[in-house]
Amino acid sequence: MSRSITLGQYMPGESLIHQLNPRVKILALLMMLAVMFIVQTFYALIFLLLFAVLLLASSGVPFSYFLRGIRPILYIALFALVIYFFFTRGGVVLLRIGFITVESDGVREGLFVVTRLVALVLYSLLLTLTTTPLSLTHGMGYFLKPLKYIGLPTDEVAMIMSIALRFIPTLMEESQRLMRAQLSRGADFESGSIFRKAKSLVPLIVPLFISAFRRADELALAMEARGFRLGARRTRLHEDIIAPRDWAVLVFVAATLAAALVLNI
Amino acid sequence: MKNRPEIAIETRKLAYHYPGEENISSPAVYGINLSVKRGEYVSLIGPNGSGKTTLLKLFNALLAPTDGEVLVEGISTTEEESQTEIRRNCGMIFQNPDNQLVATTVEEDIAFGLENLELPSPEIRKRVNRVAGELGLEHLLKHPPHLLSGGEKGRVAIAGILAMQPSCILMDEPTAMLDSKSRQDVLGAVRRLNREQGLAVVHVTHFPEEAARADRVVILHQGRLIEQGPPALVLNNLQLLHQLGLQGTASSELAALLRTDGFSIPQEILNCQELVQSLCSSELKN
Amino acid sequence: MFIGTEKLSHIYMPGTPYATKALEEVSFSLDRGDFALLIGPSGSGKSTLIQHLNGLLKPSGGKVIFEDRELGSDSVDLLALRKRIGLVFQMAEEHFFSETVYDEVAFAPRNLGLDEVKVEQNVKLALERVGLEWEVVHDRHPFQLSSGQKRLVALAAVLSLQPEVLILDEPTAGLDPGGRLHLFALLKSLNQQAGLTVLVCTHHMDEVADLADSVLVLNRGKVIMSGPAHDIFARRQEFNKLGLSLPEVTEVMHCLAAAGLPARTDIYSLEQARAEINSLKRRLEK
Repeated sequence: MSRSITLGQYMPGESLIHQLNPRVKILALLMMLAVMFIVQTFYALIFLLLFAVLLLASSGVPFSYFLRGIRPILYIALFALVIYFFFTRGGVVLLRIGFITVESDGVREGLFVVTRLVALVLYSLLLTLTTTPLSLTHGMGYFLKPLKYIGLPTDEVAMIMSIALRFIPTLMEESQRLMRAQLSRGADFESGSIFRKAKSLVPLIVPLFISAFRRADELALAMEARGFRLGARRTRLHEDIIAPRDWAVLVFVAATLAAALVLNI
Repeated sequence: MKNRPEIAIETRKLAYHYPGEENISSPAVYGINLSVKRGEYVSLIGPNGSGKTTLLKLFNALLAPTDGEVLVEGISTTEEESQTEIRRNCGMIFQNPDNQLVATTVEEDIAFGLENLELPSPEIRKRVNRVAGELGLEHLLKHPPHLLSGGEKGRVAIAGILAMQPSCILMDEPTAMLDSKSRQDVLGAVRRLNREQGLAVVHVTHFPEEAARADRVVILHQGRLIEQGPPALVLNNLQLLHQLGLQGTASSELAALLRTDGFSIPQEILNCQELVQSLCSSELKN
Repeated sequence: MFIGTEKLSHIYMPGTPYATKALEEVSFSLDRGDFALLIGPSGSGKSTLIQHLNGLLKPSGGKVIFEDRELGSDSVDLLALRKRIGLVFQMAEEHFFSETVYDEVAFAPRNLGLDEVKVEQNVKLALERVGLEWEVVHDRHPFQLSSGQKRLVALAAVLSLQPEVLILDEPTAGLDPGGRLHLFALLKSLNQQAGLTVLVCTHHMDEVADLADSVLVLNRGKVIMSGPAHDIFARRQEFNKLGLSLPEVTEVMHCLAAAGLPARTDIYSLEQARAEINSLKRRLEK
């Protein structure tokens, strides 16, 4: 049953993108997003989009995953297209039906914005599909490190995040089981007024809480039993190394950013 | 590792009350004098609620004795400074491995204890790989724990403990949720480490067949140590076992029934082979 | 057909790369009053199968049949169905949420919309059927009970629906030997005295094999063996290949047979083994 629950969007793989340091990936993504907003010409944008597709192909993640990731923004894209087509003026009149006109500037700008949107999403998906939720957390944690100096316990927060990531699937599975168990005892979670529905959740919430507390208790014991101490120094299995390939990627992306800024394309 | 004491765990007049339990007269464990030798495999049996889990937690310094003391490798568990060392020395496998797995991948979980010991990354990597190899987990290193089977989770929990190179492991009903193949996998792995690397084992179980494979069986009842000795003796003391709501192995139970029917079968029967051998050599000789 | 399935298939997360076939064309049937065992290694689809039997899961293909009719998906129909086919989950006491044993057991009949007088009757009968004394337990907090008693309350909480079929998933997990024997004796009397059709999923054959009329063995979502218990248990080689084990007394008989003695091997309980070995001795003496 647990196999039916997956968390985040991570698709395991061994590609170069998978192996990049998560910090580098996050930084590179931020720079690419900036590039996307800087470029002005359609050709540059199309080039970036094609480049994204190339990267996608090299990541080895099935294409359907990207399509699924894009689906939620299709409506926004469609909406944007309609707005631009019908309300932006300028250029040659392409179509006139009654009082509705579509002019060429509107079409160009509409397509430009939508292409940018799709490219933005593709680059973001490239990060989330090739990076485990845990590495993402660690990567983002790194950029939050300065907050340590204003008293935020960043190491503990990272530990809490990783434990949450570990237990969310377990608890989801458990709530599913629990729901089925209570259904077997004739429970009804669907019909009735809001008040009745809220009341019908008691048989789910109480055992779920009890079990979550028991798990937390046992987990705390188990962590203690394995020598964990709050605030103590720890080492890591995966050293956070920035490898030469990571540097190469950073330099390449930075150069792209610089080019976009200087060339004004 | 010279001058290591012969005894892995020793308790003296050990007693523990859970705080808040009003009934002072019925402590969770009481008056336990027990020693586990280096490399010994001890099974702890007793009805539900007899204090077995409490005893394990006392061994691992997760609980501090109300009275008496626990010495792990000669060090008292009440000494604050030594607790990390005691927990490294005396690893614990909990009943539900699901609540013991901390990290989001198998390798990170095996590494967890080592990270707490502040070992350098290459050393952690080396030990993770070695232990994973010993327990047949190499192909699962990158998997998240929630996608593992029960037996695999059990083995990951053991791997996380073994990586810390303990001299003793404590197991609280590690097989309760497992099918018979996974049970054999998990217990087989532990037994092998016990034989080959001299790992001391304290194994709490409800299954007489599992207890029968130990070097020594200890019976706990209402927090007190009632009986201990070699499995062949303890698990054949059926009168006592039945009185406590426990059972001998199926073979020892059958042997006892046959003895009352006039068969002459030696007292020390634990498993199928022994029973059949005895039957074939005496009563059913053709 | 009283209850069963025809070519039942189930796929988790269909249409994604994570799609897994949990069941593949599973067909079996039970007669009214049967005592059946469902066995198989973990991950073989046992839980998925039993959750289809009272409509918790919907088939991806094939059908579930109760009293010669295919299960529909109408929700009214489902409540009526769940009243008649009781399903006790693994570690069901973990699903308790009430302040008293009474309320816990009354949850199911109240969900059926019975009036409080009738509810009380049902609760009384259910507690009586599991052998808990009304006076002693009905107003106690479920968490104050021993683990064996909690399990019995969990069983009563389903029996209070007054089902005709009782399906139990690993009903003795975590119980001590005394608790296991008691629970199986109870299931036997529910089957024989109260006429309930019982289906038990379990990894532990020792105490239950003797009770079974029929056995269904699953492996990787497919039916590997099904039929009368004595036919299935006779296929010991296949059992061992699947990593499943027969009751230890059966192993004893097989060992005797392997030693060249004319011993019967369709023996699943201590008493049967005792009788057969005595009779074997007499036969050999002649």
